[in-house]
Amino acid sequence: MAESLTVSGVPVENTFAEAFGMRATRIVITADSLRWARAAAVAATGFATSVIACGCEAGIEQELDTSQTPDGRPGVSILIFGMSAKDLQKQVERRVGQCILTCPTTAAFGGIARDAAKEWLAMGGALRYFGDGYQISKLVGGKRYWRLPVMDGEFLCEERTATMKAIGGGNFLILARDRASAVAATERAVEAMTPLWNVILPFPGGVVRSGSKVGSRYRALIASTNDAYCPTLVGLVKTALPAGVNAVLEIVIDGLDVPSIALAMREGIRAACEGGEDAGVFGITAGNYGGKLGPHHFRLHEVLA
Amino acid sequence: MSGLRLSLRARPPARVDGSALLPEKLQGQTLDAIRRIALPGWNEFHEVGELFEVSGEATDRLQIDQLDGSFDRLGALATAGTLVLRGQAGDLVGEGLRGASIEIEGAAGDYLGCGMRRGRIEVRGNAGHFAGSGRAGELQGMSGGTLLVRGDVGDRAADRMRRGLLLVEGDAGDYLASRMLAGTVVLLGRAAGNAGYLMRRGTVVLDQRPAQMLPTFNANGRQDLLAIQLLLRSLGGEGPRFSRLAARAGGFERWLGDLAASGQGELLVSF
Repeated sequence: MAESLTVSGVPVENTFAEAFGMRATRIVITADSLRWARAAAVAATGFATSVIACGCEAGIEQELDTSQTPDGRPGVSILIFGMSAKDLQKQVERRVGQCILTCPTTAAFGGIARDAAKEWLAMGGALRYFGDGYQISKLVGGKRYWRLPVMDGEFLCEERTATMKAIGGGNFLILARDRASAVAATERAVEAMTPLWNVILPFPGGVVRSGSKVGSRYRALIASTNDAYCPTLVGLVKTALPAGVNAVLEIVIDGLDVPSIALAMREGIRAACEGGEDAGVFGITAGNYGGKLGPHHFRLHEVLA
Repeated sequence: MSGLRLSLRARPPARVDGSALLPEKLQGQTLDAIRRIALPGWNEFHEVGELFEVSGEATDRLQIDQLDGSFDRLGALATAGTLVLRGQAGDLVGEGLRGASIEIEGAAGDYLGCGMRRGRIEVRGNAGHFAGSGRAGELQGMSGGTLLVRGDVGDRAADRMRRGLLLVEGDAGDYLASRMLAGTVVLLGRAAGNAGYLMRRGTVVLDQRPAQMLPTFNANGRQDLLAIQLLLRSLGGEGPRFSRLAARAGGFERWLGDLAASGQGELLVSF
């Protein structure tokens, strides 16, 4: 592998993004209109940027047209990632119960193919008790659904949703001349990655500004600001920033498999580097913890090969 | 045609229990061994070879031709394979079915698919009384699988039905889905009197207004329910008449009952 690699003239460091194993499920939300399916999806994937404090990482995967949903209505597929099936169970129950059940006209379906299923999580099977005895179970096409009476009719929810092995923590960092250049580069990258299946970008708008390192001088914290990449600490700490870099933003990618994350990283890096150094992008690197955190290493040079 | 073929050549003197004639039991046996199988009748046994012309090869497909209604319990408790019955298939066909497929190219007698748990039964003609129900004394009727009747069904179809799908293209007799516990019935023809009598839960979709609506059902208004749309759309593969029902389903008049039981069943009537 070549030691030096550039994309549109932007140097890409020969390093790797370190990712770890997770469990994930896909839920397909449908509604009478895309507006309401999107509203439920946004709510259900809210406050789900990092498992550290949110309990899960979640995001919108794709918007679906009427030919792509089980009930022939517009929909949105979301992916939810957790550290274990047990963690996911809690999150699915809460998020479907509080954000999809509550949203007008919606229905919720499991979205993982049966042959890829690792474990199953109760979805409608856990929420059915909200029906207070008036819930109705219905077997359609080999799948069990629950019908819960709600004030706009019925909430239809598949009894269970499958989990599968997944990967969290794919990432790359954009080193830029200034904040405006960094934001513009991330916007290009997010736009390029949005059409891709099997991945989500769990952070706000798909972008993280508060990259972290393991540990802290405060014993209560397990992670703290990544001082080596903070431009305001140049001159105070051992910085990782090349001369001229005054802003860094990170994009974190969770995905259902290695190829999907690698593809997303490739598309994202290429889009971020468009315009080269003239666009204010001076370098691409990735976050890792020396290989101690996760078994999945996405080497930037290999991803871009 | 591949598989084993039995063609009735002599009418038995009395009714015969044909439950031994299962593809899974006969598969791999020689024709001579099959001819020697004794079927219990009224105080006597009849060898298969006495009653049937036996031909073909014993695979997972068994076809029985020229049936005249004198064999009962054909396909009972079958778990695998395909059983094709031609003619009048008799009573209790597919009783307690556990997974096989039964195709009846003709008509079926009473208690078709009673107590079936899994699998599929399709009848091109009519079925008698108590289709999809349970035998006398049983607490539950069919509890899974699909029972499709292209013609009419008699009285008490889906009586005490617990789970599964009963599809009827023709008409139904009295007391359709009586004492139903759960499950789904879709009737494209007309139901005679007392449909849903004492049903506790379950769904009955009626493409035509029944002859009479029980007074113990309350009107629930016109409802356009996603679950019913999904259900009807899933029936598209069962034939054009079911596809048409799904395509024009813009909602149903919904009745809830039977309030003389727990009252959580639903009758959905096309309008």
